[in-house]
Amino acid sequence: MQTDSLSQTFAALADPTRRAILARLTQGEATVGELAEPFDMSLPAVSKHLKVLERAGLVSRGREAQWRPCRLEAGPLEAANDWLEVYRRFWEQSLDRLESYLDELQMKGKPHGRKS
Amino acid sequence: MAASPELVIEPQDRVLVITRVLDAPRALVFKVWSQPEHLVRWWGPQGFTLPDCTLEFHPGGAFRCLMRSPEGSEHRMHGVYKDIVEPEKISFSWTWIDAEGQPGHETLVTVLLEEAGEGGAKTKLTLHQALFESVTARDAHNGGWTGSFERLAAYVARL
Repeated sequence: MQTDSLSQTFAALADPTRRAILARLTQGEATVGELAEPFDMSLPAVSKHLKVLERAGLVSRGREAQWRPCRLEAGPLEAANDWLEVYRRFWEQSLDRLESYLDELQMKGKPHGRKS
Repeated sequence: MAASPELVIEPQDRVLVITRVLDAPRALVFKVWSQPEHLVRWWGPQGFTLPDCTLEFHPGGAFRCLMRSPEGSEHRMHGVYKDIVEPEKISFSWTWIDAEGQPGHETLVTVLLEEAGEGGAKTKLTLHQALFESVTARDAHNGGWTGSFERLAAYVARL
């Protein structure tokens, strides 16, 4: 069975180091060495994180054998963001309904209660 | 090269945070979160219904609900209560179950209730939904690396 791409995106994003790598890439392309710099981490360790990000389609690598600069791919991030928006709407509307429901509960026996 | 460790925005990657002041005492707000007969009256977007909802309202207890959209499409959700402190805190995992019965990505929801208004007549509700399981435990070791999701979200918003 195929893992859906959103789960893969979230699995990749679930690691703070990988999120930091992506955040760095929002400023432009970078090599593995440049990405490793701010972190107390070996190049192989950073490469491992990059592989996860590549598999999730969040990062692509250049063709040049030596450099292979890493670049941020925005598509999956946009999908993740849309997903968050769905949750925001879900809760905002639920809480609207909660407000009305609380009013309704408290109005019992009060002739002049508010109605929304 | 611009270095990244100024990524701190929030102590934790709480991706979704919603705050509301509700015109009801805290005990009542807690009650409508904790009892299915109340929960089904408001949980879900406008027009949605919860024809089936069971809660085992204690830490480690599961909840399962069926949500039906106004168009009639049905969505199953499942979660496990993690932490319950009456009347101030409820946290639970939450995931949607797809048509094949497979759970989707799990998120962690935390609802905090604080007394507000004169004599506690109102309640301030703060809802956090974390995208990543155990994000707090993992990020606690990584101080300056947290908050990067907010930065990514901001980046996406500019596209």
